[in-house]
Amino acid sequence: MMFKRTLLAAVVGATMTGAALLPATASAETTLRMAYDADPVSLDIHEQLSGGILQLSHMTHDPLVRWDQDLSFEPRLATGWEQVDDTTMRMTLREGVEFHSGNPFTAEDVVWTVERLKRSPDFKAIFDPIASVEAIDDHTVEITTAEPYPLLLNLATYIFPMDSAFYSGTDEDGDPKDEIVKNGNSFASANLSGTGPYTVVEHRKGVRMEFERNPNYWDGDSPGNVDTIVLTPISENATRVAALLSGDVDFIAPVPPNDLERVRESEDAKLVTMSGTRIIFFHMNQERVEAFKDPKVRQAFAYAVNQDAIADRLMKGFATPAAQFSPEGYAGHIDSLERRYDLEKAQALMEEAGYADGFEITMMAHVNDAKIAQAVATMLARINVDVDLKTLPKAQYWGEFDNRAADMMMIGWHADTEDSANFHEYLTACPDADTGAGQYNAGNYCNPKLDKLVAEANLEVDLEKRAEMLQQVEQTLYDEAAFVPLHWQDLAWAAAPNVNIEPVLNVMNFPYLGDLVVDEAE
Amino acid sequence: MSTETSLQPTAALPSRWARFRDSYLLYSFRRDLIAQVSLAVFIAFVACAVLAPWLAPMNPYDLAQIDILASELPPFWIDGSDPAYLLGTDAQGRDLLSTILYGARVSLIIGFGAVALQALLGVVFGLLAGYLGGRIDAFLMRLADIQLSFSTLMVAIVVGALVKAIFGGATFSAYAVPLLVLIIGLAEWPQYARTVRASVLAEKGKEYVDAARTMGLPSRRIMFRHILPNTLSPIFVISTVQVANAIISEAALSFLGLGMPETHPSLGSLIKSGFDYIQSGSWWITLIPGAVLVVLVLVINLLGDWLRDVLNPRLYKG
Repeated sequence: MMFKRTLLAAVVGATMTGAALLPATASAETTLRMAYDADPVSLDIHEQLSGGILQLSHMTHDPLVRWDQDLSFEPRLATGWEQVDDTTMRMTLREGVEFHSGNPFTAEDVVWTVERLKRSPDFKAIFDPIASVEAIDDHTVEITTAEPYPLLLNLATYIFPMDSAFYSGTDEDGDPKDEIVKNGNSFASANLSGTGPYTVVEHRKGVRMEFERNPNYWDGDSPGNVDTIVLTPISENATRVAALLSGDVDFIAPVPPNDLERVRESEDAKLVTMSGTRIIFFHMNQERVEAFKDPKVRQAFAYAVNQDAIADRLMKGFATPAAQFSPEGYAGHIDSLERRYDLEKAQALMEEAGYADGFEITMMAHVNDAKIAQAVATMLARINVDVDLKTLPKAQYWGEFDNRAADMMMIGWHADTEDSANFHEYLTACPDADTGAGQYNAGNYCNPKLDKLVAEANLEVDLEKRAEMLQQVEQTLYDEAAFVPLHWQDLAWAAAPNVNIEPVLNVMNFPYLGDLVVDEAE
Repeated sequence: MSTETSLQPTAALPSRWARFRDSYLLYSFRRDLIAQVSLAVFIAFVACAVLAPWLAPMNPYDLAQIDILASELPPFWIDGSDPAYLLGTDAQGRDLLSTILYGARVSLIIGFGAVALQALLGVVFGLLAGYLGGRIDAFLMRLADIQLSFSTLMVAIVVGALVKAIFGGATFSAYAVPLLVLIIGLAEWPQYARTVRASVLAEKGKEYVDAARTMGLPSRRIMFRHILPNTLSPIFVISTVQVANAIISEAALSFLGLGMPETHPSLGSLIKSGFDYIQSGSWWITLIPGAVLVVLVLVINLLGDWLRDVLNPRLYKG
């Protein structure tokens, strides 16, 4: 559900900008103080499939491969890969890599990690295509899929090998150390050992997180010269921007749309923006609200929401209004799908469905999206739907989301595999706890035909045919108004002028902070 | 109150109006420009608040009237404004003028409602404690001490959270005004109780009370008909201060998201909603309601000041 991409370009970019080619050996300690809207909910990188967790993963772990800025694959812990047959890929692993704990990194850790991913309620759905992983020797693994699967390398960007020895055994309470507990306490949620460029020194939830450069980091070519990173969550948008402009922090994300101009014009900061692929939308929970079972009611909701107005007024044009999941460039994207704001039609549909007088619903959103949610509530008032809106901080919101605690819940999703199928698998597939399908489907929309179609599309090697199938899914979701789309959110980061963030940023919104170069302040 | 000044030797008692006309209260009011201006502004506020549904160009609490395409319009003196929205609009497209009128209404209802509740509790407890003394006094005053050790905000947070948890957010939104009256009223009664008790202790020993007691009047009558009228001056003075305090408390709670719901913005929640925009151009969303709040509280405080001077016998004689 989040974002992802690469580093090669980052490395090249950084060296070209002419800073120092040599890894910084300056004696002065370089500290990066950064502020996000929230800190990671846990130190267990398999607990939640979220942007925050994956951003953490890129700081404390390394993936097998990662995306570079051109969206091609860059080797990380895997140095090479070859397709052995239709369903098997052999990966050669990097040698001489150590975990933070001092344990050596071997093929067994990869096997252990993938097996754990397949147990994780959040991750299991994307790892479902993988049938087995086998260690051939200490530095070779073979990944076997049940059927030919074209997106295996995309998946490998989500495999951040964990320290299997470190997480084996039981903790003081007798619970297994590798246990995955959502929104709860476990050994893994408080202890971390990866291979990544940073180790976690301190994690005070919601207050402060401190990282220190891993002295034994394997990537000697990384230009990164930051010794200490202090992450402070600042959920209040205006406060976060003020903290950057006043010099309290060096790097912030996200930058709220109404402050973009101010940051762009400031001499104390530089702004980096990218057109995003993250879809923001509302689920309509059919299990909680009988009326949502009627496609007419769902369509009425879709017709009542004016995406263009929200993108224009609230996002200040810093978003692309959407009518479907897939952004342009994705296989499932259908050019002809129009945004369908039409109030009269919406009212007519409500009347046809027998709800001319409307009904009451509850709505939940993350505090930073409060304005968008309020605007949607206002629009729904026109079809006589009375909305009880509650906005929560991120840490609490995800718990409520997992409990499906409101009739309409807002969520943003970036396709984990950079592919349309991922949207359906997580957001609109019939929920199934065993396979992890529909893990973030807070609408309980279920159309088995679509599930079958997506499953078939995943096996389709003919890319044109596959795109056709995925488009058919998108069209059906649109026709049945499975959700209320809002927009694809653009991305924005800002940093102090001496922090070279451009080379480490990407559209997945996974800053590769290990390669970040900070010039010495004058 | 002891400000009657019937100096005429005529036998017939002057009418109430005549007594008022000759009173020191009116005399001092006529000579005090600040008090006159404050009262005029205050009356204007009350009038606006009462007449809000007729004065306001739109109903800011009716979501169906809000158009997001009209969001963040500036007030009339700035380029780009729309004459339909004199003071501009907020980020959701709500007319600021209308929202301020309705918000002032909420502020005043909560201000006076909360003070009425505080006064009721405070006067009853204060009279009982002061007149009866002993264990009742000790109990009520310890209760007041405990109550004072919780700040209004804390009481509001706890009560608000409880109500939301038990009855749900929709119920809280629907009953936000009475709940805020209850919260602010309950949190601040000790101010009254202590003042009244002190006055009662001073009055209790006086001859007219002894006289009333010798006549065999019941305690209740002595407390409410004989002692209470003589303790009213400080009550009036505290009341003005407390109204201003209650209005500020409401604004603070709403600013923190614990008061009026986002769909029914009061002055406090309006100030809060504009906070994100204050440095990015749309300053009016916060500053205009902020200025209105300051003026409202200021005139009430000025009136209170004046009233205190008038009712203070030492200043009056001097």
